[in-house]
Amino acid sequence: MSKPSETITINIDNQFLQVGAGKTILQAAEQNHIYIPTLCAYKDLTPFGGCRMCIVEVDGLRGFPTACTTPVVEGMNIRTNTVQLQNIRSEILQLILSEHPCSCLICDEQEECKEFSGTIRKATVTTGCRYCPNDGQCELAEVAKKVGVKEINYPINYRYYRVEREDPFYDRDYNLCILCGRCIRMCQEIRAANALTFKQRGQKTVIGPAYNRTHIEAGCEFCGACVSICPTGALSEKTRKWEGKAEREEITTCALCGVGCQVHLQIKGRDIIGALPADDPLINNGQLCVKGRFCIPELINNHQRLKKPYRAHDGLKIELTFEQAIEEAAKKLAVCPPNEFGMIVSQNITNEDLYIAQKFTRAVMGSNNIDTMARIYYGAGLNNYVGLMKSSATLESLRKAATILCIGLDTRYGGSVVGVELRMANRKGAKIITINSHPHNLSIVAHTWLKPESGEEVGFIQSLARLIGKAKSKRPDAKSETKPHPSDNDIETAARILAESSSVIILIGSDVFKYLNSPKVLEEIGKLARSLQAEIMPLPAQNNFNGALLMGAYPELLPGGFSSARKDKQAQLGEIWGSQIPDWATSWNAEAVMTGKRMKILYLIGEVPLRERPASDFLIFQNLYPPESIYRTDLVLPSAAFTEIDGTFINGEGRLQRVRKAVEPPGFALPDWKILCLIAQKMGKKGFDFDSVDDVHKEISCQVNGFSSLDNIKRETVIMTLEPACLTGKSDFAIDPYQAPDSGKANMEFPYLLHTAISEHTYRGFPLASYVEGLKKLFIEATLEISPEDAKKAGLISGDEVIVTSAKFEKTWPARIMAEQTAGILHVTLPQGEVPGRNPYPVRIRKKNV
Amino acid sequence: MTVMEYRNVLAEFQGEEGELIPILQRIQEKFGYITEDAIKNISPFLKISENQIYGVASFYSQFRFTEPGRNSIKVCMGTACHMRGGQILGEAVERELDVKPGQTTKDKRFDFHRVACLGCCALAPVIQVNEDIRSRMNVIKLKEMLDKYE
Repeated sequence: MSKPSETITINIDNQFLQVGAGKTILQAAEQNHIYIPTLCAYKDLTPFGGCRMCIVEVDGLRGFPTACTTPVVEGMNIRTNTVQLQNIRSEILQLILSEHPCSCLICDEQEECKEFSGTIRKATVTTGCRYCPNDGQCELAEVAKKVGVKEINYPINYRYYRVEREDPFYDRDYNLCILCGRCIRMCQEIRAANALTFKQRGQKTVIGPAYNRTHIEAGCEFCGACVSICPTGALSEKTRKWEGKAEREEITTCALCGVGCQVHLQIKGRDIIGALPADDPLINNGQLCVKGRFCIPELINNHQRLKKPYRAHDGLKIELTFEQAIEEAAKKLAVCPPNEFGMIVSQNITNEDLYIAQKFTRAVMGSNNIDTMARIYYGAGLNNYVGLMKSSATLESLRKAATILCIGLDTRYGGSVVGVELRMANRKGAKIITINSHPHNLSIVAHTWLKPESGEEVGFIQSLARLIGKAKSKRPDAKSETKPHPSDNDIETAARILAESSSVIILIGSDVFKYLNSPKVLEEIGKLARSLQAEIMPLPAQNNFNGALLMGAYPELLPGGFSSARKDKQAQLGEIWGSQIPDWATSWNAEAVMTGKRMKILYLIGEVPLRERPASDFLIFQNLYPPESIYRTDLVLPSAAFTEIDGTFINGEGRLQRVRKAVEPPGFALPDWKILCLIAQKMGKKGFDFDSVDDVHKEISCQVNGFSSLDNIKRETVIMTLEPACLTGKSDFAIDPYQAPDSGKANMEFPYLLHTAISEHTYRGFPLASYVEGLKKLFIEATLEISPEDAKKAGLISGDEVIVTSAKFEKTWPARIMAEQTAGILHVTLPQGEVPGRNPYPVRIRKKNV
Repeated sequence: MTVMEYRNVLAEFQGEEGELIPILQRIQEKFGYITEDAIKNISPFLKISENQIYGVASFYSQFRFTEPGRNSIKVCMGTACHMRGGQILGEAVERELDVKPGQTTKDKRFDFHRVACLGCCALAPVIQVNEDIRSRMNVIKLKEMLDKYE
């Protein structure tokens, strides 16, 4: 046997070639630009040998071996293109096509048709038939052309399957399927999601999940990897079905969660028609989740996008030019006292936008009143969370860990790229332990699934830590203890695995914020990590959470993560900016907005803190979409989305990432930093005359480590560690938490405790599901999770409308009975802005219409 | 079939991937067919997704997914029976019992299969009901015969 590193000599079609040993004939041929037709082979997948198109002749081998499955051997003599091979290929392809509706592949009018298919006429004239959504991008058509199939000499045997349209994001027309098995191998080998399989055998073979389940029921993650590699039109994206081929691509960073995947935006004309994963080995490695793969075009091209500024006056919408809008804003802001001004910024906007926003607040308005909604989302756990974020592990260390502990993590739709890494690590031998009271997508790969009762998470983690301590101490001889004791229960097994593991990494999922006492849970996780010397990866839901901290978009923080109370930093910053920096501490923050403190001017950039208008005399609303109609605003300014601007994000790992402009913003929309600079200039302030976003980035680089210039960001190498001193070290950093009250106890009148969590799937304050049709089926929000006992008491079945009454509010949600829910405790996940107040709420419930 | 019963079957195995087919065989032996619940219980035990288990099980003709009836009808479609009208008998069963090959009637009285050869070609066309071979069948005899089974 020859070693893989050796090269050997083979002969393909009378050419002597040097190729690496261990390669297949197909790989050797492709490397040397020799074409062998294939349908089922795909670069990253194991060879399948199913389509039989790549058959070759090899001296000394009987019959016609397939090039994709036959390894090369020294001195091999291969022919790829003899008359006999061509004839066999043509016959095989005809057999495939006898089951595949393919009028246009073999139509006599093919050439003429193309000439006329673009004609627009008033009369009904056939101008080309388009049966297949993959028109013009079909691999099968290409192979048919190359093999030279002109007619089909076999009886037609179409299958007449129903086209499956019930799942979101892609349609499945298995009439067009050629059973190459690429989608199945992709789902099993690369994604390890295992939602697809061959069903039945022989002629009846069809692809799909078990029984006649929908993909939602089957655990599909809707990552779209199968759609990308389907060689036919069998799998097609609903939104870009008839869009055709993209004209160009632009690589950028996805803004829909903290993983920061690199995506290739597909652009046609002035529109983004799709998004495909980029092969960034550090982050997403050719994978995406449902949000990155399918949601970007719908978010960006949404018909509701704001295109022009307008002023609201007595319920009327008065459209303004940008010039007028800027003037109006400047006029109002010029007379606003510093302590009467408040700004809420999104964690989804770029570092450059965030930097300018806080500079505007501090240098122009002379105030520290700038905040993000993280204070509300993370609640009292914010400080703990930021503490864990500071030293976030990277995906690189996740790939190397021996044991992975996942707490409250479900990677089906959120961070599913991390889920892929987890399952790959598991395949290489890493043990996965999950702590989750609910069924989740990782349970199937988990070595041990620990199920704390909901509400008991703190105690559970404490006892796990205790057991780990015990397992560590009574381990005189490590080897003798590695076998599990049959008497162990799950938590003891998990404790032993964690205690004996050489490297542990802890992943924190967003379900942690649904726990009754999430701040305490985070604290306990921190302690656990220290005792295990484990790395932590918090996986924040919002993509630029780190950026907002480091740019100083908090009342307590200056750029670089320094405390805003530090006189030396104030002075330093004042010198760079050439203006006075506010030296007074503020009591205002996002919580004040939630509790209705009235401000003179409230400026919302990419955030919608409440469903109704927050209390303020003048409200500036700068975002992608208009606020809901009940939401009265005074001035609305249209922003550009992340696909329409240049800039940077910092992902959850602390990696600085480039955002690239792919298309022009709609109408008159402008980047957020630009709008703020125009207002500041109008107000006559210096230091806002940036020509480009690169200039902004360069100014940031004076104050924040790791920034240099936009052209200088090497996304492969730049790992920006958040300096501990910048964030919390030396007690620099203390964000005032949104405190949980102690009054939340059930009583006679309100016997249940309601616990709410905020939906993590948002972009610039808007719930994704409101703007992307398909997500409505995936994200089940605003349903009341109730235990079977409580449901029985109240006479409820799943789907019943339930009226939930507390001392302060009355809401109606559909019930969803969950066996995992603890009796007496109700849970509901709500879009941001609909959360009625502070957790937990004593409530009573009753069925509607009874 | 309760979760406990499935657990008892699974307790006979180690939980390794290669045991899938023996487990499926044992389940079918015990319960008569592969239920959806059985697959749900095997999945976490072997750490194989339900979809993959179904894919494997549906590939082999030995596994059935419908509950067997109280009686079993096999209509021979072998060469001799085919020549003497096996197809017509099969269609008659489908019509009389409102059932398709591989299925069980709604009242669970019969399950119906088409088989390749029952090994008594001289008696063609042949139908097997439970253990009895019915020889030289025709549609009239078939109808009378069906009424005798409960």
